[in-house]
Amino acid sequence: MTSRTKIRTRAARTWERARRPDREHVEALKARVPYWFVALVLFAFSVLQIALNPFGFSDLTQRYTQDISNLLITGPYLYPTTGREQITVALVDEPTLHHLQMPWPWNYSAHARALDALLAYKPKAVVVDFLFVDSRVDDSLGELVEEIARYKKAGVPLYFEGGTDLPYGEAPLRPELAKTGVRILDPSIEVYDGVVRQYPASGHCFGPGGQLRGQCPSLALQVYRDLYPEHPPAPLKGKMELVWGTETAPFNVTFNDRTNLLSCNEKTSFLLRIYRAFFDKKTAAGRCPYNNDVPVEALLAGGYDDDLNRLIPNHVIFYGGALQGAQDKSFSPVNGLQPNVFVHAMALDNLITFAGRPEQNVMSLGPYTFSNEPAQVMAIIPVILILSYLHLRRIRARRRAAHGKEHGALYEWFSDKGIEHLWQWLAFFLALGIGLLLARWAGLSVANWVEDVFISVELAAMLLLGVPDSFWGYLRHVAGGRPDDILPEATA
Amino acid sequence: MKRNILLAMFLGALGATPAWAANECATLAGDAILSARTPEVDLYDAPSGKRIKTLDQDKFPKCLAVTQRAPNMMLQVSVDGAAVWVPPHMVNYRLASKKPAICRNLAMGGDNTKVGATRALGEDCPQKKAKP
Repeated sequence: MTSRTKIRTRAARTWERARRPDREHVEALKARVPYWFVALVLFAFSVLQIALNPFGFSDLTQRYTQDISNLLITGPYLYPTTGREQITVALVDEPTLHHLQMPWPWNYSAHARALDALLAYKPKAVVVDFLFVDSRVDDSLGELVEEIARYKKAGVPLYFEGGTDLPYGEAPLRPELAKTGVRILDPSIEVYDGVVRQYPASGHCFGPGGQLRGQCPSLALQVYRDLYPEHPPAPLKGKMELVWGTETAPFNVTFNDRTNLLSCNEKTSFLLRIYRAFFDKKTAAGRCPYNNDVPVEALLAGGYDDDLNRLIPNHVIFYGGALQGAQDKSFSPVNGLQPNVFVHAMALDNLITFAGRPEQNVMSLGPYTFSNEPAQVMAIIPVILILSYLHLRRIRARRRAAHGKEHGALYEWFSDKGIEHLWQWLAFFLALGIGLLLARWAGLSVANWVEDVFISVELAAMLLLGVPDSFWGYLRHVAGGRPDDILPEATA
Repeated sequence: MKRNILLAMFLGALGATPAWAANECATLAGDAILSARTPEVDLYDAPSGKRIKTLDQDKFPKCLAVTQRAPNMMLQVSVDGAAVWVPPHMVNYRLASKKPAICRNLAMGGDNTKVGATRALGEDCPQKKAKP
């Protein structure tokens, strides 16, 4: 027989074994699955799940869990109001325009007056959340320029925002305003399916003349860095995972409940809240903004107002708008649709509350930073190693038992069921524990490791079904492995 | 007991009425600007008009009768014989009638809908002239 014929015969046998495997051989071979193979199969499955995001499962799990966590745990119980007590949003909305009989768009003079009214209360800083990009013909532009000078004189930091993605040659901020040297920040936010759950760590830089150049910290991060030097922000390499507070500012509750039949929050028991969060999320969400919301006409009215005297002095003020058709609103996981100025406010709130170390979508281990997916893969590795080890111990114990004392069918059924449940829970808590450790030590947010918990349960199910073992048995059989070669005790 | 109630009423009255409101411009009837509040006070030619002058706090006259109130809260007074409009946040003032209430329904019910239109923000932008 020539060597070519030998190869052909061998290939034909292999193909025959692949097509019609010997069930008994496969069963015998699978009991000898090696540790490395079990771990490899589980690892490959996990990587596939995490990296390829089949059916959007990865994203959906992350975001849904983040929402539930915000609504049920972090928002009401774990997120303190430290930041909320230092931030106020001064809002120009439809009732403001109606009340003042000042239709939109306002001229520069009106904005200057609003800013001046804020300055009268001596705020800590003011962030203007309006874009002044268009070169509108307006004689009152000088008043806004003078207002910027008043802020400088008073020593109150003032921030304007610069437009991005503008046509070539278009200035991000009117040159007349940019020339004053006012700080210009990038107002970009992160929106996923219309909902804001993350916040950028970096944005465009604007030069003294307003021109775009390089990368700078994002809006909230820059404001925090300037105003809270006692707790400098940690170097952020990924995105911030926003924790949305659910304890609505008491001022908003009082202000709303005075006239509105619809209250800011429905008071419910913990159990009802859990039910609503899972099955009727809309009713669990709050209806009012979390941060203090002061109408601009109240500022323009002047006079003495206890609320304003409490909410503006020494606060960081976001001066923004909530105008119909201005396309500047997004959904928050806990409040529904709200103006994007509250997104910036919430991001700063997170930075203040977490003393510059917000939750992130990346994991930092020493000098290394891992993005979301590698971080999840790394987090699942210990789970895989432990589950694989325990699985092999279980197989060996079962094999030993098969040669030893026989138990009754009822005993077998109950012990199998018990092990099945224990096994699932073991995987669940193992992944949960590792995730919590990562959150504690590496700053990885819940949303970015919670998928590992789901995957761990899937891995446990795979092991219960014996997927890696069967796969190994089949491959080994196809490759020509024989039970009597490797399983002397089975044949003895 | 009675003395405590009287004391509480007295302290309450002190807290409710600022000192300057009680003492200043007592002879002036109706709405009045009592004094400047901010370091500078801007004077305008109309409620939504142009700024015509800025006065330092110490140069702004005290006890001015308010001749008119605009819907955007601006107060009309006469300074050096000229009728000017003053932003109320820049001055301490007293109104004979109640200030219009500022109310807000912050809680919104319909969160599943968004306005599918763009506000005409740039309607008064200068039009580009066609080249001859």
